[in-house]
Formats: sequence, C-alpha cells, structure tokens
Amino acid sequence: MSALSRSEGLIGIVPILALLLLWQAAVSTGMAPPALLPSPLAVLARFAQNMADPAFLAHAGITLYRLFAGFLIALALGVPLGLLGATNRGVGAVLKPLVRVLAPVPKIALYPALILSLGFGDASKIVLVVADALFPILLATYQGAAMVEPKLVWSARAAGTSRGGTLFKVILPATLPSILTGSRIALVVACIVVFLAEMITSTDGLGYVLVRAVRNFQTVEMFVPLIAISVIGLALNGALALARRRLLAGFPDED
Amino acid sequence: MIAISGVTKTFQRRGGGTHLAIDAIDLDIAEGEFVSILGPSGCGKSTLLYIVGGFVAPSGGSVSVSGRAVTGPGPDRGPVFQEFALFPWKTVLGNVAYGLREAGLSRRDADAKATALIATVGLKGYETFYPKELSGGMKQRVAIARTLAYGPAILLMDEPFGALDAHTRLRLQNELLQLWERDRKTVLFVTHAVEEAVFLSDRVVVMTRQPGRIKAVVDIDLPRPRRRDELLLNPRYQRLVIDLERMIEDPPEEMRA
Repeated sequence: MSALSRSEGLIGIVPILALLLLWQAAVSTGMAPPALLPSPLAVLARFAQNMADPAFLAHAGITLYRLFAGFLIALALGVPLGLLGATNRGVGAVLKPLVRVLAPVPKIALYPALILSLGFGDASKIVLVVADALFPILLATYQGAAMVEPKLVWSARAAGTSRGGTLFKVILPATLPSILTGSRIALVVACIVVFLAEMITSTDGLGYVLVRAVRNFQTVEMFVPLIAISVIGLALNGALALARRRLLAGFPDED
Repeated sequence: MIAISGVTKTFQRRGGGTHLAIDAIDLDIAEGEFVSILGPSGCGKSTLLYIVGGFVAPSGGSVSVSGRAVTGPGPDRGPVFQEFALFPWKTVLGNVAYGLREAGLSRRDADAKATALIATVGLKGYETFYPKELSGGMKQRVAIARTLAYGPAILLMDEPFGALDAHTRLRLQNELLQLWERDRKTVLFVTHAVEEAVFLSDRVVVMTRQPGRIKAVVDIDLPRPRRRDELLLNPRYQRLVIDLERMIEDPPEEMRA
C-alpha cells in the first residue's frame, strides 16, 4: 500500500517535469521571445534567490497571513453552520435557500464593495477569502452530517448521551472526513482568491509582487510569485493530508 | 417488564399518502424472558424494536418499560444492530468504554471495565484495533460488549447476526445463549431465521407483512441449557421449526382470497 502510493507519487512528478521541459523547449527553440517568456531555469534561480530576500519573504508572509486568517474564519463559521443545518430542521430551512443563492455568486465581484467598506488593507482581503472558502466547507459539512448513519446516534443515545451531546460526540467526529475534504477544496480556493485580491489592489503580498513586476516589465520577477503560491498550495495540501492520516485513522481509506 | 399496547406506526409515502407499517401490536414481555420477533422482511419487526428502544415514536399506542412510559432512548434498553453501528473513529476499547464514560466513570475505571468485557467476548489483544480492522463477527462482539458495558436490563437485538456468515452466526448464537443463561437479561430479538429464533427463545412472536400484525405467539418449551447438537435430534425442536416455517411461508391474506 505505502510502496504503491510512493510509486504513484513518483509517477505524479513526471507530468510536472514534462511541463517544465516543454516550457524550456519553447524558450530554447525561440518559439517564445525570452523577453516575454523567461526560461524556467531563470525563474527557479530567481525564486531561490528571493527565498533569501527578507522583503520577498515579508510579502509571502502577508499573503499567508490573509490566507490562513480567512480560511480559519471560514472553518469556524462553516463547520457549526453545516452541522446545525443538517441536524436542526429550523436552521436547515433558513440556511438552504441562503446557500443556494449565495454559493454560485462570484465572490470576487464583491471585492470592490469590500474595498469601499473595509479599505485597502488586510480586512477586505480576509473577508473575500472567507466568502470564497466558506461554501466548500459549509456544503461538505452539511452533506457529511446529513449522511451520518442514524444508528450511530441511536447507539450513543441508548448509552446515555443527551440529544445535544450527540452533536459533539457522534455527528462531529462522524463528519470529520467530509470536513477535511471540504477544507482541502477551500484551501485551494483561498490560495487563488487571496492572490487575485492582491493583484487587484494591494501594496503588499505575492499578488502585488506580480503586478509590480508586470508594470516594470520584469518577466522573470513576474513568474516568481506564481511559483511561490503553488509551493504554498502544495505544502498546505501536504499538511492537510498528514492531518487526515492522523485524525482519520479509524475511517476507511480513500483517495 | 416491557408492555406494548396498541402500537401502530404509519409512514408518510414520498408521493403523498401513508403506509401502515405495523398495526395494533399488543405484547407483554416478562423480566428475564427471551422473546424473538419472527417475520418476513418488510413486516415492520425492526420498526417495533426501534419503538421499544425509543428511537422511533409510535403513531399510536404506547410502550412502557418497568411501568414507565417510553419517551426516548435510555441506558435501560441496549440496542445491538445488524450493521454493528460501531464508532469508526474510536478503537475497540474506546467503543466499549463509551457508555461507561457517559455514565460518569473515570477514564481509568472505564478502561479497566471495558478491557475485562472485551476479554469476555473473546477479543483480548484487540483493544487498540479500529473497527475497520476487524471481521464482521468481531465487530458484532465489540458492539455487544459496548452495549453490555452500561448494564442495560433489556437487550434489543435487531437481526444482530444477519450480516454474518453461517459459521460465525452459529458461534455467536452459542455465545449469546451462554451469556444470557448467565445474566438472564430480558431480550427482544428480531430475526427472519426460524432456527435461530427457536434455538434462542422462550417465546416466538410471528408477524405478518403489510401491515405488520401479530399472527401467532409460540411458546418454545424446550429444556435449557440448550445445546445445538442435542436440539437438532430433538423431535420437539424439529416440529417447532417446521410449524414456524410454514407459518411465515403462508402467503399474505389478501393474496389468498
């Protein structure tokens, strides 16, 4: 099993390497002018160089802060709302139409309004991340909690757990796999939206670094934030997979 | 001990209208009695058990246990389900200790008592395993231990051996019988297997299908302690099995007309 998943991981590197090779080939053969598309080697070299640059790291840190603050607030809102919506008919009746209306709205369209009311700083960006990361978590939690086998709840009730107590002792742990699946999607969405928000209006963060590079026509510099955000996404996904393995030891395997 | 009087359950049909699942069930079960409810699938026998457990509310009639009306689940009535319904996030020890912790025991006392119970059901050494790592028979032993842990006076068993292979089923029937002969708990046991009902029970309640009604109550006057190999040669046992089989094979009344 672990040998298989390790070899699967190795196979997964192949298409990424192929993509980098294609990129390099496009530059080397002159298909793309180097002024517009720098070689991946040049970008990676600059990325490595920037990793030692405190100014660049500060930008990355600000992006990470907004990403985490938004994600954690979305988690703190989405999980209780999803659990209550699935277990309490009244809450469910209020929540469902609201989610149906709000979930498909492109949250980035709210950003101008957020800037006007919250300003250019962290708040507007964090709220935008919350708005986008909330729904994957809320929907996954709701669906997971609605599908908890009633006999698990009955077993706990018969053992003396109160109706309210089953929410924390049965429904929440039984919903954990769904919550983690929702969190995985929410983290990817959060990476995308924090970057977008910083590109639109910001004076700091990775998205701002990219826009600044574009304005100054520094093509190598332009690709570095992209590498940085994808490395962040990869690391967060890895951390979540680790949490999954630890928290869900008793649940059936999935992937 | 258990008094079921006039219990009726109707379900809402999806397309409107109602479906009468069980109709006017009257049944009294004495303390220490082992009673099986036998019937074809879909006759509402599990629904009746859930109503006694307090998991499902009846549409009409009432259930009382030791003179007190049933309004919800309680630790005096311990369920064992066909699907085991173990907590997947808890180990064997965590599952069995659950009811003890809920009863207010300290972790140390609960774990000690649970460990002893796990040994009683023959799973010593499996305390740290998760349910997904166990076979069906082992899972059901854990579920039985989890229920026995909080000391219910009544066991409500919903086709507990229905999902097991024939060999495991026989072993668990034997073990349940030994356990029951030691503790003499009141047991309400739902099954569609005639031999299982006769082997275990003091009385067998035969139900009809759609709506579920009591068709007959048959006293199982076989001596205890019972041993499977002796019973199989016993003409009285054979007679009971044949009679009950014919009873549940009968087509529903509306089809005979």
